[in-house]
Amino acid sequence: MVTGAWICLLAPLGGALAITFGGPWISRRTAGSISTLTTFLAFGGALIAFFGLWSRDAEDREQLSTAYTWLAAGDFQVGFEILVDPLSAVMMLVVSGVGGLIVWYSMGYMAGDEEERRFFAYMSLFVFSMLLLVQAGNFLLLLVGWGLVGLASYLLIGFWHKRPEAVAAAKKAFVMNAIGDATFALAIVLLVWNTGTLELLGVFGEVDALSGTTVNLVALGLLGGAVAKSAQIPLHTWLPDAMEGPTPVSALIHAATMVTAGVYLLVRAHPIFEAAPDIQSLAAILGAVTLLVAGLVALVQWDIKRVIAYSTMSQIGYMFLGAGIGAYGFAIFHLMTHAFFKALLFLAAGVVIHHLSDEQDIRRMGGLKSALPRTHLAFLIGTVALVGLPPLAGFWSKDAIVASAFARGDALGWTLFVAGLLGVLLTGAYSFRLYFAVFQGKPVTVTQETGESHHAQHAEGPLSMLVPVGILAVLSAIGGLLSIPGVWQPFTHWIEETGEPLVEATARQDYLTSAISVALGILGIVLARRAFLLDRQLVSTPSAWRIFERKLYFDELYDALFYRPAAALANALRRRVEEPVIERSLDEIGSGTILASGGLARVQSGLLRTYALAIAFSVCVLVVVFVAVR
Amino acid sequence: MSGPGVGWYLIVAAALFGIGSLGVMLRRSPLIVLLSLEIMLNGANLALIAFARQHGDLDGQIFALAVMAVAAAEVAIGLGLIVAMARRDMALDVDQASALRG
Repeated sequence: MVTGAWICLLAPLGGALAITFGGPWISRRTAGSISTLTTFLAFGGALIAFFGLWSRDAEDREQLSTAYTWLAAGDFQVGFEILVDPLSAVMMLVVSGVGGLIVWYSMGYMAGDEEERRFFAYMSLFVFSMLLLVQAGNFLLLLVGWGLVGLASYLLIGFWHKRPEAVAAAKKAFVMNAIGDATFALAIVLLVWNTGTLELLGVFGEVDALSGTTVNLVALGLLGGAVAKSAQIPLHTWLPDAMEGPTPVSALIHAATMVTAGVYLLVRAHPIFEAAPDIQSLAAILGAVTLLVAGLVALVQWDIKRVIAYSTMSQIGYMFLGAGIGAYGFAIFHLMTHAFFKALLFLAAGVVIHHLSDEQDIRRMGGLKSALPRTHLAFLIGTVALVGLPPLAGFWSKDAIVASAFARGDALGWTLFVAGLLGVLLTGAYSFRLYFAVFQGKPVTVTQETGESHHAQHAEGPLSMLVPVGILAVLSAIGGLLSIPGVWQPFTHWIEETGEPLVEATARQDYLTSAISVALGILGIVLARRAFLLDRQLVSTPSAWRIFERKLYFDELYDALFYRPAAALANALRRRVEEPVIERSLDEIGSGTILASGGLARVQSGLLRTYALAIAFSVCVLVVVFVAVR
Repeated sequence: MSGPGVGWYLIVAAALFGIGSLGVMLRRSPLIVLLSLEIMLNGANLALIAFARQHGDLDGQIFALAVMAVAAAEVAIGLGLIVAMARRDMALDVDQASALRG
């Protein structure tokens, strides 16, 4: 069982190394195959680990395996160790399974790109990093995985490094994530200081012994890391820009796996957050704010991938909400179903973009239903699953989170409940706005031209693109059946072995919530349909439109708050210190040296006899000095 | 051992060295400068040998032989330089060979 987990962790690393060192000696196709096969090998390992756990007793499902002692400083030791428990087993399955499908898809999507080998090496590196993150048995290794996925994300966003926007987006993502990494690292320092250990289980055992301030600070640090990685307000601005990367990257990193790492951390470190209930509520509030803001912004965006990116932010907001009120099982359940349908949406969008020769603006799309019938079906399944209509995946997971907020009962619970329901309305509106704009209506002329010329070559892409899309469509359709409130909830019970839920909705609360949210979702769809038929925008007030289109001015705010003061300070320092003090002093030193050497050069007359005289004179002086000193 | 005491030898050596150094400092012909250098070296040699004799060992004499060898080499180079200067129709005057002025 533990062997399976190690295979799962190391297979993608082996793939990345093989492609890197294989370099030009392996063909591009081989590189893609190596990457795909090693990721599926990791999935096999994850399956072994999962069924190994399954066959054990419930009390015996936490397995720690140490490869070797990695760091030792006195009493403090950190091992290279993995923790296999119900939570990490599920994450391993999601990461390697969805990851394998997306890597397979990229073999078709990236075919013909100049640097395919580099792409696949990065992808394998990412899968390894993400698996390290979810399997880490201590906080330090978790931080290593945390940093590595950030690096892989940076490399892949900036994969098309000849495009300035892509490079800028990569830098932005890296910097925003670095803020979270820093708070995460500070939390780890506090933990080492106060508990003397970093092992997950060891730390959780000592949480009670910590002072209130310490626990709050640690929880705040971890939350900072989670917020940055999962693109929640206020550290969310990097995610929409990250869409500059290739579409499979957006699907894998910025929808299915990496951005949900924050949710994983909230659930993984739940004993710490439970000891700091204020911080945990803060996570839920941030999630609620993010899901509303992202939903509103998604209403007016024009880029197909950006709409889906805002939708991702919004859905992760639900997961934060769930983890923040202690519905751990449902948060992870939504993480998994979201991985299915969001990866599906991105991959289907990738087929559309491919079909239209890299067109991403939905104003220049339309009527693709007839040209791409299978993609249309897949996209529709993904969209309906996203909105959460029964019986597709999103229905079961999202409603369970909202119902948990309902079950919480206090003022915060009600607020979160209302926010969650409003989010459903927004989701219905923006996702069907996208669906109608892309697939329904009259084919736009531009679409027709490009569509015709490329139709024969890649109507819906090669088989390696269609099969993963099909598998994900099936998973999005049936994935939610793993947890039906009041009837059959194996998934959530499985996760609850790692984290006991703090709230539990009764079946009646569940079905009441579902009824309201389905009604709101359908209302959203109707609104989108009406706006589409009348050829109007969803947001008709121009001022509101402008605010949403500028993404609520977060970029401008950060520009004014951080970039400009920093730039002004740097400019002032350049004018006041750099130029007058440092540069001028360098000039002075230079000219002074020239002057002094000019004077000294005059001593060297070139007259041999003068030298001889100088030598004789010096010797005389020395003799006198020696004699006198004696 | 007979003959004058070591003091006399040293006086002669000092006189030779003084004459030589004056020649180096005052004369402008490179040939004479070389000649004066040789006189200085021989003054030093004389002092070495005088001390060797006073102490009754051979170290000073061996050292004097080494100085002679060096002097021979130096003369060879010096004369070579002078011949080269003459070939180029340069004035045989050390004051005019001042291309290295800073």
